Amino acid sequence: MKRTQTGVDKISRSAVIWQLIACVAVVLPLFSWLPAWVLLLGLGCIGARLMIHSGRWSFPHWSIRLVLVVAVGAGLLMTFNRDASLNAMVALLTVGLSLKLLEIYRRRDALVLLYVALFVAASVFLFEQGILVAIYMLFAVLLVIAALVSVWQDPLREEMLRPLKHAWRLLLPAFPLMLVLFFIFPRIGPLWSVELDRSSARTGLSESMSPGDISRLTRSDELAFRAVFEGAPPAPAERYWRALVLSAFDGREWTPGASSSVVEELNVIGESIQYEIVQERSNQRWLFALDVPMLAPQQARLTSPRTLLGHAEVSQRIQYSVESARQYQLGAELTSDQLDFFSRIPANSNPRSQALARQWFDEADKDVSGLINRIFRHFNETFVYTLEPQPLGRHSVDDFLFQTQQGFCEHFASATAVLLRSVGVPSRIVTGYQGGEWNASQNYLTLRQYDAHAWVEVWLEGQGWVRIDPTTAVAPERIEMSAEQLFSGQAGFLADSPFTSRIGRQGWLLQARMQYDSLNFAWQRWVLNYHHQQQNLLQDWLGDLTPWKMILVLLIPASLILGFISWRLFGRRTIQDPIERQLHKLFFKLEKQGLYRQPDETLKRFSQRLEQTHPELAMILMPVANTYETLHYLPVDQAHQRKILMDCINQALKQLK
Amino acid sequence: MADALVKQVQLACEKLDQVILGKSQQIRLAVTCLLSSGHLLIEDLPGMGKTTLAHGLASIFGLDDSRIQFTSDMLPADILGVSVFDAASGGFVFHPGPIFTQLLLADEINRTTPKTQSALLEAMEEGQVTQDGETRYLPEPFFVIATQNPLTQFGTFPLPESQLDRFLMRINLGYPSPEAERALLMRGDQYSRRDRVSAVMSPETLAQAQKACQSVHASADLIHYVQRLVQYTRDADSFSYGVSPRGALALLRCAKSWAWLNDRQHVVPEDVQHVLEAVVGHRVRAAEDMAGHTATRLVNELLSSVDVMASG
Repeated sequence: MKRTQTGVDKISRSAVIWQLIACVAVVLPLFSWLPAWVLLLGLGCIGARLMIHSGRWSFPHWSIRLVLVVAVGAGLLMTFNRDASLNAMVALLTVGLSLKLLEIYRRRDALVLLYVALFVAASVFLFEQGILVAIYMLFAVLLVIAALVSVWQDPLREEMLRPLKHAWRLLLPAFPLMLVLFFIFPRIGPLWSVELDRSSARTGLSESMSPGDISRLTRSDELAFRAVFEGAPPAPAERYWRALVLSAFDGREWTPGASSSVVEELNVIGESIQYEIVQERSNQRWLFALDVPMLAPQQARLTSPRTLLGHAEVSQRIQYSVESARQYQLGAELTSDQLDFFSRIPANSNPRSQALARQWFDEADKDVSGLINRIFRHFNETFVYTLEPQPLGRHSVDDFLFQTQQGFCEHFASATAVLLRSVGVPSRIVTGYQGGEWNASQNYLTLRQYDAHAWVEVWLEGQGWVRIDPTTAVAPERIEMSAEQLFSGQAGFLADSPFTSRIGRQGWLLQARMQYDSLNFAWQRWVLNYHHQQQNLLQDWLGDLTPWKMILVLLIPASLILGFISWRLFGRRTIQDPIERQLHKLFFKLEKQGLYRQPDETLKRFSQRLEQTHPELAMILMPVANTYETLHYLPVDQAHQRKILMDCINQALKQLK
Repeated sequence: MADALVKQVQLACEKLDQVILGKSQQIRLAVTCLLSSGHLLIEDLPGMGKTTLAHGLASIFGLDDSRIQFTSDMLPADILGVSVFDAASGGFVFHPGPIFTQLLLADEINRTTPKTQSALLEAMEEGQVTQDGETRYLPEPFFVIATQNPLTQFGTFPLPESQLDRFLMRINLGYPSPEAERALLMRGDQYSRRDRVSAVMSPETLAQAQKACQSVHASADLIHYVQRLVQYTRDADSFSYGVSPRGALALLRCAKSWAWLNDRQHVVPEDVQHVLEAVVGHRVRAAEDMAGHTATRLVNELLSSVDVMASG
């Protein structure tokens, strides 16, 4: 008996397994972003579907499904507290995907599931854009496509790997198309945007500085930014990355204070240095530049003390180039109001420090550099540079100078500035980063949160603002080596970072890490931030961009690839046998005259039929029909008869012309 | 020599044309069936000339024939024969039934009960009759020409598919064409009596012809075509069941005989197409119709769906 075709749209058993694999593949990279219960629900649904698959359970009743939907909805509301953040949306999507798993039975269900899975796959990139994730997602998409193929395959075919092979063959020709689109498809800004979850904001420098702020940053190895140099980078001791200037002191905390709108004047001495910065998301407005930036990039403006303030918060990775002066004279001419502002200090704060400063200033014969030397000597004698200083009280500088005598860069910077201000010398704190890890293979410096630093600028008559770094007095190796080398033995260093970033800081592991880092950086620069280069590239190729040129550039590769695919698809059907090919030509000629051979007509009967209406054509066709019949149905010498038939057909073709 | 044999058979056909007017296709199909050593089922309404055709065949090939008119109260013994105690010899004597003949005309086979039908069909298949533990061979050659009324008539027992398969061919006679019918009416029924037809062949020459038929050449391409046809009946949705391998063999055998009858030593696809409906029609059934009256439509679909020139 013939197979009866029941349940046409029921998907095969292996297709069900494929659906499960595809779902696991797309949800897996989201696991650190989703609430734990969502993942548990997903696992539960997969388990339940497997139980159904093996026939131990039956499909859930509608009431069970209803209860599940209500419970999951309530769970989402409770978890995200009615906060429609991105995480909530992705969690909703994932939950929907998990619940739909329970229902897959018919082709329609499977298609819904897979389309949602593709959506979830895309949403992964909202959280993570690294090269490994990108490679993984390519693989996940391959699995989803395989699942899609499996949905359409014959329910009786149970070969598990066939859909995967098929999907691979489908995606392979799409790959060049993907590259072409990547290179030339115009990047369009988002039409709408969703607020990213605030709680995931990164650690980093903050608007103000109180003792302990910066040493806390050393607990993290998160990337702050990278700087790419054309040639050699500045020496480690000159790598001061200026982020913001703090000028107002309230006795404990430094804040930027009221700033003037006039940018301090900069006299460049000698040559400048040019570089490009790729800054990670910080959710803050300021950008970074080597001491001291000459001009602001287009994303930012220069503040009065020559720091870069972005026009908007850095909510995603940005790229900009800056030019900095290496030797300079900054703000040589300040008004007395300004000088007064920079030497202001609350009168009743840190009394002992103020007294000490006055005493030293007198000892140094009112010479500012003498005072600075005295301060530095003092630091050098008894002070300890540590990541985990003891907490300080209300008079933080007094506590630091006279009791704890241990601190991190911000303690020394703060104390130095307070001491200077106590005797009326204008000074201010600069925070930013210092140093950085040099990656020679790609010519860039990597600055991480543990490279955060604070130093002092003191204003000297005739010289303007001069950078002094009290940290060099107590721990010169902090400036000469990297922060990482210095602190790697200390307890608090990288305490908040995953274990993996604490190992591999030497030998071949370090090498491998550097290699991976430069790969990732190249990925970020050339793939994720490609739109910068794209415009230049397209302009180089095409001159002025007109819509017509764009369309042409898009159409040519697309049609090439489509042409290749169709050649592969239909080109294979060309007839191998030369006789058959010639016969097809013959039939094609007759078809052009409206004469079609019926499937049940042999050549002979066809030409007999033609005799009635087109005797002249029948005359041409008859010899072909006879030799064809002889070749195919008579016991004759095949090779010889083929030759005769070939001649016959060619003759007929000639006569038909 | 083969030529002479073919001419003889063709002459026989022409003679039969005189007996049954306007049915030369059906006559040649019936002769093909005999040449292929198969049994023939003629299905038509009463009075269409079924019996006349059967008688004509028997006399023209010089076969002895007998006829059974099936009725619903018939028993197998009425066909096969009975053993009767003979007081004179003091033992049982077998009285052979009408089946012991060279050409058996089984009239209205679907009027009798399945029990009797199957006794006949068993004999057709085996070529022997076993009764009271004794096997008796039927004469050589042995043909059955069965006639049956269309199944929609009252008081019939339709033959099951398995038994229909025993018949090599099933043909319909159909109403004669207007010309043929006019000629028939003008002539009267003088020719309908069998003794007006004289034999043109002997059973021995028939056996030779049968042998010659099976030596006709069937090329690989032709066998491919036959196989594609048969495969289509198994795969297509419009068929509820397809042709059996026995059906496929029958198709090739008949095509060979048809080719031989047309004086060719090789089979061409046209031969297959000619015999297709007669051989395959009663072996297939449309998916939606269980009464089995759609053979022509199915065969037409089969013909137009399988490309005769498809390579391989």
